[in-house]
Order: sequence, then C-alpha cells, then structure tokens
Amino acid sequence: MDVDIAAAREKFLNREFDTKAFEVTAQNIVEYARACGELAPKYTDPKHPDFQAPPTFASSFIAGRHLPQDYPRFGGLGMDAGKGIAPKAPLRPGSVTGKSHIHDIYTKTGRSGRMVFTVIRMELFDQDGTKVADADTRVVSREKPTQ
Amino acid sequence: MILDLHTHSIKSDDGRAKVSNYCQWIRTKTLPIDGFVLTEHRQFDAESDYSDLAAEYGITILKGSEVETEYGHVLVFNVTPPLVREFDFARIDLPLATVIQAAEAHGAVAVPCHPGRKRVGMCAHIENLGVPDGVRIVEIYNGGSRGDEDEQARAMAERQGYLGIGGSDSHIVSHVGRCATRFETPIHSEAELAQALRTGAFTAVTYRT
Amino acid sequence: MSISKISEVEFGAELPVFKPDTGMDNVRRFATAAGWNGPRFTDHEAARKEGLPGALVPGIMSQGFLAAMIHRWAPEAAIENVDTVFRAPVLVDESYHINGVVTDVDEDTGLVEIDLTVANDAGETRVFGTASVRLPS
Repeated sequence: MDVDIAAAREKFLNREFDTKAFEVTAQNIVEYARACGELAPKYTDPKHPDFQAPPTFASSFIAGRHLPQDYPRFGGLGMDAGKGIAPKAPLRPGSVTGKSHIHDIYTKTGRSGRMVFTVIRMELFDQDGTKVADADTRVVSREKPTQ
Repeated sequence: MILDLHTHSIKSDDGRAKVSNYCQWIRTKTLPIDGFVLTEHRQFDAESDYSDLAAEYGITILKGSEVETEYGHVLVFNVTPPLVREFDFARIDLPLATVIQAAEAHGAVAVPCHPGRKRVGMCAHIENLGVPDGVRIVEIYNGGSRGDEDEQARAMAERQGYLGIGGSDSHIVSHVGRCATRFETPIHSEAELAQALRTGAFTAVTYRT
Repeated sequence: MSISKISEVEFGAELPVFKPDTGMDNVRRFATAAGWNGPRFTDHEAARKEGLPGALVPGIMSQGFLAAMIHRWAPEAAIENVDTVFRAPVLVDESYHINGVVTDVDEDTGLVEIDLTVANDAGETRVFGTASVRLPS
C-alpha cells in the first residue's frame, strides 16, 4: 500500500468530520470521580460551589478509533498508541459538544513498511461555547512492506 | 564505568523524556551509572548536541539507534555518517544480515535488544527463521521486560554463546538506569563504546527490584 | 503531607503510591458513568471470547486514576495535560500500583512535570504517562 500522506493531510487535516452532543449529569461525574479514587468534594459532591468533572473526564467521550468514513486504512485498523487529555476549563453538568478533526498524520518510515500515526482530536465545548478540553487519541497503523 | 545502553528521549515517537531531565535525575537520585546512550527508534539523531549537558552534569551521553529487522529490534552503537548511508534506518523490515554486515564494515556494533519479547524480539523469530549469522551480543537485561522475557533472553544467550548487555529501554525520565552495562575501561565516545563491546570486557547489570 | 504550592515541590520527589480499585464492581461503575459499557470491560468471559486475557480496565480509567493520584498529592494542582502510552493490558480484578515522580520543576511558569507508571505486582509497567501540572506560587 502506498497512500500519499501529503494528500491525506491535505484532505483531512484540521477538517471537522464529526460533531456529537453529550449530556453530562452530576451523577455521572460523581460516579466517575469516585471510581477513579478522587477525594476532593469539588468532584464528588454536587452541592460543592465549584462542582466539576475530574480533568480526565472528557476522554470518555471518545469511543474507539473514531475516524472519517473515507479515511485511508493505512494497512489496518491500527492500534491505540496512546491518549492525551488537556483540560481547558471546568466541565460541569449540562450539554457538551464534541467536535472531531484529524489533528496530525505523520509517518515514522522510510521507503517502505511505514508506520502511520494519526492523531484524532476531539475539542469539547460546554453549552456556553467555552472550550473545556482537547482529547487526543493516537492511532498507529503498520503497513506491510510493499516489496 | 557503567552505561545505560538503551534509552529514548522525546526524539522518539513514544519517548517522553527530555535529555536534560535524564541528567538531573541521574544526579539527584545518585544513580550508579556514569552515562547513557540515546537509541532513538528508527533513526540516528545526528543533529542533537548534548556535549554541554554532559559537561554540566559530568555524565557521558552517547548516541546510537534502535532499528527494526525481521528478527526484531536491534541496537546499533557507533553510528557514523557512512553507516547511515548504508541502509534506511526508518524501515521496519531491515534484513538483520544487512544491519550486521554494514555495522561491521563501519566500526559499529549491532545488538538485538529485548530478544525475549514477542514480535519485536529475536527469540521468537529464531524458531521460524533459524539462528542468524553474525550476532555476538544481545541485550539480556531490559528495563521494560515483562514476565520471563529476560530469562528467555539469558537462556538463548547461553545456548548460542552470546555476550549480554543491559539497558533500561527508558521512555520516561524515572526509568533511566534500571538496567545497564559495566565496562572495564573508561568510555568517552561512541567509537570507544564499540571498541569495548568488541573486546567483550563488559557485564550486564540490573537494578530492578 | 500534601503539596499546596510549587516551592514545596522538589525535583525527584515521589508522590504517595496509589493503589487503584480495579475490582469488577468499581470498573462497572466507571464504565456506566463514562458510557464505556462494552463487555470487554465489564465481563471476563466476554473479554476472553474476544481473545483477551480477561476484562480490561479501560485506558481512560487509568487516566482517571493518574489524575486522582495527583490530586491526592496536591489538591490545588491544576492538571494541564495527561499523556498516556498503553504498553500492556491492565486487567480487571488484578492488583496494580501507580508510582509518580517529579521530573521537572519550573518555578517561573509554575509547571511541574510528573512521570506516572501503572505497574502490576510483578513490577511490570502496563501504562506509562506524563502529566503537566500547574501549582500556585
């Protein structure tokens, strides 16, 4: 397989391919926080004046290897190479919108047998339009050598 | 002289450690190693110059590479510009024979690493591909090993008469120096490292508890 | 003793070891709250049928453990980034511990870098990660 990374970058990079709405309840937050071992009341007590989700909560909106339908396979579905979460503002109960784009496509390769890394970023916004987090998933696909 | 022969920095795609923080860590934690070799995945990082850091901390910082062959991953020490021109370091399907021959032709040393690991280690591939020619040294202590991977590596080394080195395979700061290699002579350069490896005057050590 | 400002943080300091609850009941509770109810996370038998060694602790739950561990150490810490690399499965009902150490302190920016590793009782790293945390000066 010899998919042109430059073309894929041109076609997919920074173009939103999916928007999803999520509803976050106080109960979700409390259960999530307790299951993770958070102790601070601002994560576990909905009555706390600064009640909010733990900073990694937004990662849970990313389900599986979510890619644009016509995204090249690069030799396979790929493996989860890691996740990153960068909270930007407190995430509180209410509506959250997740907008996904391909943030980066790069290879670690030479003339054949490429490893293709795809970074999928979901930007999350609360009901006021404030960005609450960037949640990244890195997927790596190993192409079989062409020769 | 004790060197960690297998480390990765942020120059590797899955590395998360800054070289300066490795140095700071080694000194703050008074680790028993005198230096380390940066073996970035599928590349030789010719550009980075760590000589100021090495001088500041009194630590030997050398550069090598970790390449990928049909027998799994292989560390290459004393990578020189002519060697870089011999094969494409970025490939994931390099013939081990090519790597070994090119290394020998250019004064470098090729060492299969974490041989006990599935897919990326040499032990599993010997069953299908046979014992490769030219291997003299393998990594018998790897700081990232799980289960009996190091035991398998040591058993294979014993069977085949290979010498053994140790390296942490660190990708984060706090994992540097988990395993290393003790040399009988001082080493200040990649060429001296290759020379010491060729003489066989070294012992793999592990500090994993 | 918990940390409240950056001047209290020393390079190389170890965070108190955190033993996360990876029992099935807790993972199911997490999976429900996070909307990750797949049987591979909540049912050992179903996970084995998928060829897995057992039910998996979701990667995002390991992320959550890391954040909780940081908050226990420094309740005032504002987490700027948690980056995780999954090396091997973390299995439900098996015992793990998380180690954290400070690997960079920048008093000018207020940022602290932390190495985090999720390891099993044999000391094998299953997940490693780094976190960037902002602390008051």
